[in-house]
Amino acid sequence: MGHHLTTCTFCGVGCGILLETSEAGVIGAYPSMSHPTNAGKICVRGWNVHEVVSARDRIRAPLVRRDGELRETGWDEALGLIAERFEAIRRAHGPDAIGFLASSRCSNEETYLLQKLARAVIGTNNVDQGTSVHRFHSVAALTEMLGLPASTASIADLERTGAVLIDEADLARQMPTVGGRVIRAKLRGASLIAVGARRHRVAEHADVFLQTRPHTAVFLYGAMAKIMVDRGLVARSFIQSRCRGYEAFLDRIQDYDVLWAADRCGVSPDRIEEAAVAFARAPSAMILYSPALESQGIEPIQALIDLALLTGNIGKPGAGLLLLAEHNNVQGGCDMGMMPDHLPGYQPVADPAARARLGALWGADLPDRPGLNGHAMLDAAAEGRLKAIWLGRHTPGVTATLRDANESLARLEFVVQQHLFLNEASQNADVVLPVVAFGEERVTFTNLERRIQIAEKVVEPPAGTMPAWEQVVRFARRLGADWRLETSAEVMNEIGRANPHYAAASYDNLARDYGRQWPCTHDRPLGTAELHAPPEAGRRFQFTLIERPETPPDAPKEFPFTLLFAYSLYYWNKNVLIQHSETLKREYQILLLDYPEGFVEIHPDDAAALNVRDGAPIRVVSAAGAVDSFARVTAEIRTGVVCIPFFLHDIVRRLRGPGGAAPGFRTPPTFVRVEKA
Amino acid sequence: MRARALDPGDVLRLVDVLRRDREVLAPFAGRGRDTVFDTVTDANRDRLQVHLPNPYYPPKRFVFPHIQRMLRIDAASGRFEPLHDEKPRAIFGIRSCDVAGIHHQDRFFLGGAFRDVYYERFRKSLFLVNVVCTDPERDIDENCFCVCAETGPAARDHFDLQLMDLGGVFLAVAGSEAGEALFAEPFFRKATPDLVERRRRLLADVRGRFKAATSWYSAATRLITQGKVTEEAWEEVGNRCLECGGCVYVCPACNCFTVTDRKTGPETVERVRIWDACALGGFTRMAGGHNPRKAVHDRRNRRFFRKLAHYFVQRELSVACVGCGRCVNVCHGDVGMPSVVEILRRRSVQDERHEPVR
Repeated sequence: MGHHLTTCTFCGVGCGILLETSEAGVIGAYPSMSHPTNAGKICVRGWNVHEVVSARDRIRAPLVRRDGELRETGWDEALGLIAERFEAIRRAHGPDAIGFLASSRCSNEETYLLQKLARAVIGTNNVDQGTSVHRFHSVAALTEMLGLPASTASIADLERTGAVLIDEADLARQMPTVGGRVIRAKLRGASLIAVGARRHRVAEHADVFLQTRPHTAVFLYGAMAKIMVDRGLVARSFIQSRCRGYEAFLDRIQDYDVLWAADRCGVSPDRIEEAAVAFARAPSAMILYSPALESQGIEPIQALIDLALLTGNIGKPGAGLLLLAEHNNVQGGCDMGMMPDHLPGYQPVADPAARARLGALWGADLPDRPGLNGHAMLDAAAEGRLKAIWLGRHTPGVTATLRDANESLARLEFVVQQHLFLNEASQNADVVLPVVAFGEERVTFTNLERRIQIAEKVVEPPAGTMPAWEQVVRFARRLGADWRLETSAEVMNEIGRANPHYAAASYDNLARDYGRQWPCTHDRPLGTAELHAPPEAGRRFQFTLIERPETPPDAPKEFPFTLLFAYSLYYWNKNVLIQHSETLKREYQILLLDYPEGFVEIHPDDAAALNVRDGAPIRVVSAAGAVDSFARVTAEIRTGVVCIPFFLHDIVRRLRGPGGAAPGFRTPPTFVRVEKA
Repeated sequence: MRARALDPGDVLRLVDVLRRDREVLAPFAGRGRDTVFDTVTDANRDRLQVHLPNPYYPPKRFVFPHIQRMLRIDAASGRFEPLHDEKPRAIFGIRSCDVAGIHHQDRFFLGGAFRDVYYERFRKSLFLVNVVCTDPERDIDENCFCVCAETGPAARDHFDLQLMDLGGVFLAVAGSEAGEALFAEPFFRKATPDLVERRRRLLADVRGRFKAATSWYSAATRLITQGKVTEEAWEEVGNRCLECGGCVYVCPACNCFTVTDRKTGPETVERVRIWDACALGGFTRMAGGHNPRKAVHDRRNRRFFRKLAHYFVQRELSVACVGCGRCVNVCHGDVGMPSVVEILRRRSVQDERHEPVR
């Protein structure tokens, strides 16, 4: 029997858990009481992670498609075939005809090596992970305004904070450990402000719940800034000593019309004032936001950072920003440079010095043209410009929203997939390579508070499988690149040379405590809990002007409802790991059992006006198309808004119409009408 | 009481005696507050600790595993065979609260007309050495409230052997014939009346040294039993619950489970029993879609009714809570037993004054 401290790999919190093992494998899981992030608490997913680990229907050998069927083969054959086809495609169409798409659940090691393979061996910047098309906004806003593109605070700061503002994240469902910390902060007397169109569990506790219309967050935060300035509730000495651009900001914010903003948001201006005052008056305050905000563009993020700067809530205990990541390695994936326009450590691809430095480390000339992000890769595949793709655990059909990913994959000449189980993308795969599961390899993940943590190896993987990072090393060797990386620890050491923030994050250092929060450098080997804290000084922070808003298009009369796209709120039922746990499968499919053909959420008042009952068939019509679905009548959603869960993305596609996917992409509001079907 | 004295240096010799024909599980320190029950081997025996925080992962798992393989089924022929991997075990250092917890499990799995054979096999081969909590700094967590549940710090019953550190000498008490049989070992000597007196005084002192957590059950029991808890009170509890299941998983007295079949090969299936939780929404959902406890607060209501209502107290001769404090540690929203008891008591005054009870 053994008890092993490790890191849970479901969501971006990265709770400390212990796995109990015996000869039978992993037989139990329970929380670590001493872990600084979760301190003895985990969610229902963590309690059942051992069930998932011991699932038996794994892929046990590489699979190669012959005569239309996937057939087992050996590693040499599989890797050899991929090498042959990739080289042929590169010769015929150039390196940019190949793309690499990782999942935000891939470890740091496999992600780092995948982008290194793409850039240093294949010669393309077509790399992306998860939903980085939206993360781009946070990276850009935080880099420009604060200097580092990551959460400035730690999760444990919620223990000491005086106020919390949460934007549109259902913490209770997506990141319960953080949700619990917020509730306990409120019980201890902190002010809680919740913003968003859905009334979720944590919002029930809010002192001020601003149930805004979708896509209006930027107006709300502009209004709050205006109120704080008008009431003199700004941290003058912090602004003077640490910030630039305040005069211009002040000048522009004078024009902001709070009443107009309140009207756009659909909330009362008195409540906005209440929120602004509570936030500004608190001795310390934190802001938590999620990909739902990132999808709206860069401006709302800039406005939130402005609020933090106005109130001096950067670089002190109990204060700062937390970027809520609901997949365990969103942060790590970005840190590893799995982005088309950034190298590891957020150095721009366009920067010749950055390319030269990494090129020297990797022994190659690096491509200088920013590549395609995930959405653009699928576009390019559909249009025949992309010929091959390597999917690192990624199942695009589950997450792609802008086009039918499976259709796009079908157009490609060659598809490689690394995964644990066969899944819907496998039907288009030419080669499937079996990876190992949680607990079967020693690798790292970086959580939403920049904590680089080791997930330990506690059992042997099944014969025939191979860690994903090792597959990439072997494959690179087939293409003539001998990286000489024998262990995942060695990969981590190289990561430390590529990404300066990880410079001292060796496995020895990470294993000593509970991981390390980056920057973890040689002069800060214990890591950095709070970014931008003393002794850092100087006027480094930059205000962004909050423009007087233009009147956005109103919901046209014939389409009076605004569509809200519930970011992965109900997504987990599609997660292949969840599907392999009896308890989790049951819990995450309850809504699907009640509404087997999907649902569209509508407020009871709106439903009554349309004479629609819960479960009744309805038709949702937009300018681009129409879909038939079923009503879920719930008071959780705002009036005038209908909410569609993430996994019904084909519905969203039909209602939105085709969309672009360049960096800076923002999801425009979609207006619909609802009819009884 | 059948008591003997034991030198502190001989405690490990006792463990070695148990190891002759059993797997012995004992407490070991992990990192920080994390402590575990782990198998004693020659390699780790010197690290065994008597005084340390109670391991978080509850010892009920040694009779009721987190995941347990029950049957191997051949899908083609339909033949099945039970899987039994119980071996004789001893838990050395199980706390008094957890001893009471095992007793709750005994009453549930074995106390009625149906005897759970899987549980019985584990239980019959288990030997319990209870260690009394005597060190307020090391043994007693700030969330312990066994004195309120009347299960500790010294269990009165349901152990095979009980050890208590009196400072310089251990007092051993037998709770069963199997425990008494160990007194034949040479390192046990007769207990003297002054040792028994020291035990009495030490227990009285320790009872007064518990920390902040308290749980005044009787008012809550009365309110729940009389149906005087309002919907609003349960909603207050439910709003703070994040449906993680933790309170059920860690509770020594809880035993919800589900059974499922998993494929282990092309033609073989194994049937497993897994911990489940009434905290979870799917627990009471029925085929056809009806769920009598769909709302979170209805599930919280159910939990505390099961724990505290007179119907169950009478049946089990105690509340279904041992005061170990694990639910306080595990809960995201701070609605473990003490907090809920407090909410119910506070609400009874608030609600009765202002609102008629339905």
